[in-house]
Amino acid sequence: MKKRSCFLSLAVSIALILSFALPAYSGKIQQELVSESTVEQVLKRGVLRVGMSTFVPWAMKDKNGELIGFEIDVAKKVAEDMGVKAEFIPTKWAGIIPALLTGKFDVIIGGMGIIPKRNLKVNFTIPYDYSGMSMVAHRELAKGFASLEDFNKPDVTIAVRIGSTAASAAKEFMPNAKIRMFDDEAQAYQELMNGKAHAVIGSAPTPAFHALKNPEKLFLPLSKTFTREPIGFAVRKGDSDTLNFFNSWIRFNQDNGWLKKQKHYWFETNEWEAMVQ
Amino acid sequence: MRYQKRKITGLDILLGLLLLCAFLYLAYRVRVGLQYKWNWEVIPRYLFRYDPEKERWVANLIMQGFFNTIRLSIWSTVLAMLFGTVMGFCRTGKSLFKRLLGGTYVEMIRNLPPLVLVFIFYFFVSDQIMPMLGVENFVRNASQTTRDVLTFLFAPPRFFSAFLSAMISLAIFEGAYITEIVRAGIQSVEKGQWEASSALGFSWWQQMRHIILPQAIQRILPALAGQFISVIKDSSIVSVISVQELTFQGMELMSATYLTFEIWITVSVLYLILTLTCSLAVEQLEIYMQRNQS
Repeated sequence: MKKRSCFLSLAVSIALILSFALPAYSGKIQQELVSESTVEQVLKRGVLRVGMSTFVPWAMKDKNGELIGFEIDVAKKVAEDMGVKAEFIPTKWAGIIPALLTGKFDVIIGGMGIIPKRNLKVNFTIPYDYSGMSMVAHRELAKGFASLEDFNKPDVTIAVRIGSTAASAAKEFMPNAKIRMFDDEAQAYQELMNGKAHAVIGSAPTPAFHALKNPEKLFLPLSKTFTREPIGFAVRKGDSDTLNFFNSWIRFNQDNGWLKKQKHYWFETNEWEAMVQ
Repeated sequence: MRYQKRKITGLDILLGLLLLCAFLYLAYRVRVGLQYKWNWEVIPRYLFRYDPEKERWVANLIMQGFFNTIRLSIWSTVLAMLFGTVMGFCRTGKSLFKRLLGGTYVEMIRNLPPLVLVFIFYFFVSDQIMPMLGVENFVRNASQTTRDVLTFLFAPPRFFSAFLSAMISLAIFEGAYITEIVRAGIQSVEKGQWEASSALGFSWWQQMRHIILPQAIQRILPALAGQFISVIKDSSIVSVISVQELTFQGMELMSATYLTFEIWITVSVLYLILTLTCSLAVEQLEIYMQRNQS
């Protein structure tokens, strides 16, 4: 009897201690998580480091060497709303996710399509924009081609940017075609202009811009985009505070129409072209 | 020898004509085959632009990259010389451990493609080292003057740690070649010099400092200067880790403007200006050294 009560009191006291200690402990963890979240770090530093890659008209350098574009406007607005400065870190597209993971910057705002495979490595916000794949083709080489099926032949060469969603779209919709990957979009378009590729796949509206610029050599075989992709910010995993902040920011600016206005300016007008060349 | 009078023979004229034909054919192919729309007028604007705020001409994208390439090359060479000298001493040292250390370094680095090395260093090593040293915070929190000096000497705060990684990985890579140059220089000094100085009771360090190095340095200096040219060329590799040097800026501009040919030609001309100037300097140095020796 004695022994049993002793055991019981021990158990009760341990339970008591734990019940006090555990909430305190988890509270501390929570505090640590909050203070270590990217949002807090950014506020402390006073600088939001944004990873991006040149991609007309999402982000590009203007005549004065300043960055302009849809993504640049978005990132600047995010930073402004946070009360910090935006700092852009131009990064090669192929290495942009590793660079985010290793902390070279806080967030990727670079027209990154939300695809499940990428999502395994990073966290995505809700989409702030939708993009689609479109295609521009060589007038002589791809004469008479008018559907995706026409391009899905072994003797057709398609040029795309490596690691982009265009590359996976090309593989999915044209598995039989030869696909050539380039580090930059410019190289892919150059290949098309040289007549070495039948078509280039890229995010709308860039292919259409190229067709407009070189109407005697290029044309648009498809009238519409053939995919629809959500575009989100990418952040490191395990940071729900940051994710929540960006999500709310996107919802807020979607509802007040700011995102739509910006999108219209960069994608449906070409008033900005004079700033680049 | 150098001032021998040159005669122009029929063969020279023939070769010249053939070269001219080849060049013209190439130009014709570019014109007809590529149907490329040349647009040279915009290039000067990307070299320098007038800044209305500061009321003076400032370097634009390409020239910024050009200066970054120079910065990167100079610092990498300085660091590589340090690595190379230490490892070169190791390789010619007496202890087996040192020789193995030097040997491993040289063989490892020289047998890896520089591109792979840069990636490994950037994604694995620099991410462990840079945050540990707190480089970025240090630069950000530094005073305005310090920051300006660092920006002038290295890179602006946001590119600082990438610049350091690039600098160190280039230095490690080039250091392996400099090690071999230093080793060859030391070993080229006749054995008798070692023996004589040893007989005079010099310690290893005294032998090195007073007898061997003064002779070795004279022999390795031209080779070292030549290695500097290699560093300039190899520095284009670090464009893959988004260091804002000449090649990277060229590529960025190309993705924005799609002026592929104009930009690549401009970039190669700029590299040539840099490397050819250095080559000439090395040549002069060699002549000077030869004159001093005889």
